[in-house]
Amino acid sequence: MRYDSITEAIGNTPLVRIDPAVHGLRNIDLYAKLEMLNPFGSVKDRPAWHMARPHLEAATDAEGTVVELSSGNTAKALALLAGMHGVRFKSVTNRMRVPEIKELLLLIGAEIEELPGRSECLDPTDTDDPLTHFHRALSDPGSTYLHTDQYFNPRNVEAHAEGTGPEIVKDLDGRAPDWFIACVGTAGSSTGVARVLREHDPRVRVLGLVAHKSDFIPGIRTIDEVHQVGLFDPATYDTIESVTSDEAIDGMITLIRRCGLLSGPTGGAAYQGAVRQLRYADEELDGTGQRRTAVFIVCDRAESYLSYVRQRRPELLGRTGRGRSAVAVTGAEARAEARVIGVDDARRWSAEGDPRPLVVDLRSPHAYAALHIEGSVNIVDEVFEDLLRGGLPFSKRTPVLLACPVGEKSLRYAAALSRMGHPDVRSLAGGIVAWRDAGAPLVRE
Amino acid sequence: MDAPLYLRPRVEPPLAGLLTDRHFLHSLVDALGSPLNVLLPEAVAENAARFRTVYDRHHLTGRVYFAHKANRSSALLRRLAAEDPAAVGVDVASVAELRHALGCGFTGDRIMATGPKDAAFLWLAARVGATVNLDSPGELERLSGLVRAHGFGRVAVLVRLSGFEHASGREGAGTRLLSRRSRFGTPVQGAEALLSALERNAETVEFVGAAYHLDTTGLEEKARALEQCVLFMDECRARGLSPRALDIGGGFGVGYVAEAEEWERWTTALTEAVLGVRPPLTWRGHGYGLRNEGGTVRGAAALYPAHRPTAGPGYLDELLSLPAPVLGRHTATLLLEHLHDLHIEPGRSLVDQCGLSLARVLDVRPADPDSGQYLVHLAMNAGDMSLEEHGVLVDPVLLPRGGTTAAVDGEAVGVYLTGNLCLEGDLLTRRLVHLPRLPVAGDLLAFVNTAGYAMDFHAHRAQRQPVARTVAVERRGESWNWCPDEDYWPITPVGEQPDEV
Ligand SMILES: Cc1ncc(COP(=O)(O)O)c(C=O)c1O
Repeated sequence: MRYDSITEAIGNTPLVRIDPAVHGLRNIDLYAKLEMLNPFGSVKDRPAWHMARPHLEAATDAEGTVVELSSGNTAKALALLAGMHGVRFKSVTNRMRVPEIKELLLLIGAEIEELPGRSECLDPTDTDDPLTHFHRALSDPGSTYLHTDQYFNPRNVEAHAEGTGPEIVKDLDGRAPDWFIACVGTAGSSTGVARVLREHDPRVRVLGLVAHKSDFIPGIRTIDEVHQVGLFDPATYDTIESVTSDEAIDGMITLIRRCGLLSGPTGGAAYQGAVRQLRYADEELDGTGQRRTAVFIVCDRAESYLSYVRQRRPELLGRTGRGRSAVAVTGAEARAEARVIGVDDARRWSAEGDPRPLVVDLRSPHAYAALHIEGSVNIVDEVFEDLLRGGLPFSKRTPVLLACPVGEKSLRYAAALSRMGHPDVRSLAGGIVAWRDAGAPLVRE
Repeated sequence: MDAPLYLRPRVEPPLAGLLTDRHFLHSLVDALGSPLNVLLPEAVAENAARFRTVYDRHHLTGRVYFAHKANRSSALLRRLAAEDPAAVGVDVASVAELRHALGCGFTGDRIMATGPKDAAFLWLAARVGATVNLDSPGELERLSGLVRAHGFGRVAVLVRLSGFEHASGREGAGTRLLSRRSRFGTPVQGAEALLSALERNAETVEFVGAAYHLDTTGLEEKARALEQCVLFMDECRARGLSPRALDIGGGFGVGYVAEAEEWERWTTALTEAVLGVRPPLTWRGHGYGLRNEGGTVRGAAALYPAHRPTAGPGYLDELLSLPAPVLGRHTATLLLEHLHDLHIEPGRSLVDQCGLSLARVLDVRPADPDSGQYLVHLAMNAGDMSLEEHGVLVDPVLLPRGGTTAAVDGEAVGVYLTGNLCLEGDLLTRRLVHLPRLPVAGDLLAFVNTAGYAMDFHAHRAQRQPVARTVAVERRGESWNWCPDEDYWPITPVGEQPDEV
């Protein structure tokens, strides 16, 4: 397989059968169309290239900017394609809720504009809708923006009608599956594929999956939001169902852990929604001796959604404790075991002590730089926590005065250090705040 | 008919208890007329305490300033004045509000003057030692001039900043978080002129900190603004100034509708109605800003997000728990580590559950033949109770006049609520409201949670309709007591004369 350009690697993705032992359907063969194996990582590689190609190939002078309302995969593909052609890319979105994707886009060189939240003091006569601004800016005469407009652009659908759909038919030996299941974001993949499959066999049933209304699954729309999508036509779907983020993650875990498919949440949602729906059909087929086929789309990969999973199901990323931790000292233990010292005594100690104590400020470097106790060293609490895991970080002959904003964290660390055998560590009572309130000097550098 | 689409209000004690005392509420309207506003001063103190709990959890010091603009009541203000002076203050946006706050017992040092200020406002604020939240360098110069001319002592000032999305690119190239444009405050970029003005006028003004108020529900925008202000105050310290307070304004929100499912069902139905796949649920098919363009819904719904999982103190807690975009620490940690006080200016959220507006039903008739819908004509108009004008959709509570045994039609019914002005547009709701049964003349409708901006923000005397009176009520033993709003003092039981203290 030798290519002249990465764009030639877009499409021709595998269709992989899911082991019946996993999904439990007895009479239906379930296949996953692995769009996550496109070169930029998602099903959006196809429409992005199909929409942008005519403009990018014509763009000789590297002028202008491609813009899209996208929080994720379309932006990623467009940003890479624009970069290859020396053109800039800007993503405008209010849904940039997954930090890995945002950082990836920045790495690729995209510009991101995040739309503001809703107005709290609502004025219903206000027409200052940020999206309206966006569209006005695009239609400015002299604007050098190329808006790919994925929610309304028929080339989005076309990319799938020419690629994804025919590939499925080819891999099923010229037949359309009995069911086709897809999540609905721009409606491009579901609409394009459904069109082709129905041309082969009008009896194909199409299941569209959306997110539960109060829920958030990155990349797809809720049941209300789909109505704002220009490509969305309810007639495309025999059924529209909603899935929750919980179900999406369940499905994703099954695909990852049992099928070796490193799917993201929408792939999980499609799998879970498919099995939920097909179970009834499967029961009806029992004893008829008939077999049926279903295909769902795995849109993208898991890696970009780790923080999404961490937020919703932290136990899946099983964070187990790593050795001794000051956090393991309870508040009551800290109060019982740590020595504290008031501001006046601390001032005297740090000026006249023999030896003088090492003053450790546990706040962030930024706050430390702004104002701190003269002569103190700054070890931010997170780093300090790590240091303690390795052992006692100070000589037992050096007395230590620990300071944090209000004397709470320092109390725990003082207790932890005492437990580790340090003979003279004290926590500044009331912290830097008490120090300041007592009129004791703070310096900045 | 379709299943009724309720948007039933969230009602908590003590408001919930008051609503069950129908006889008391009817007797109030009998005595004082319709419309009538009822306030629970005790509830505002409880809300302040809830905000304080969030402060305590994050070890933060600073004040909760009630944004007076949310309600002009004396009872609420006096009740707050009775709270711990170090913990509770008031944010005033006009000279009249400032006078009112002083008259209700707030001393100048507990008052924050915000908004555009004329000379009288600036003079009185400086005179009584209020903190002036400066909107622009021009305002600073005018204030300074007054202080010099009248020989006042130094006035504490905060500088209100805006335009955080344009702030210098410490956050790394590439990301720009747009904010709603605001008419208020000085853009952070232009703050240099402000700082030199502060230094120039150091003998007249004492710079105590920075402020912002963003009209957005977006937590990320607020976290970014908060952090930008901390960074700004750092620069100030580097120049030898010593600011120590950050005022993050209001906008913590209120959850008006009790059940998420009701809110979701209704908003989905609105979209479907706009698309024409179900009958309209609004007067003349009003779309609240949504429109149908060839089968696709366009526009943005001008609706207050009336069901919220977190609002008020919970929202503040979330904001303080958010990592700051540049420095990474939680915003509360950022404030704490930089030794800054946190000031907030809640308006709507501080008067959550503090009041309701009552209207008597004058007349009920079918909207048009066969629709099964009715027009319910109220002794109140859209200017008396402007929930809808602020995009807040929530059902009123029906308080029948008769005893529970009175014969009433037990079927849920869809009604439009019309006001007492001779204007076609005087609707209290443009939405079909479902009530558990059809009201009859003499019944009351209680609009719950109207103390924030709704009950007197737009009251007017245009047509010589009675303007709503306002009363403060308090639970005493088994019964409710009341007094006119202007007669409330937090030192005596409601309805009794103040004793000698
Ligand atoms: C300066 C200032 N503070 C506080 C508020 C109160 O905001 P809210 O009632 O949304 O809490 C406002 C509202 O306009 C304001 O302008």
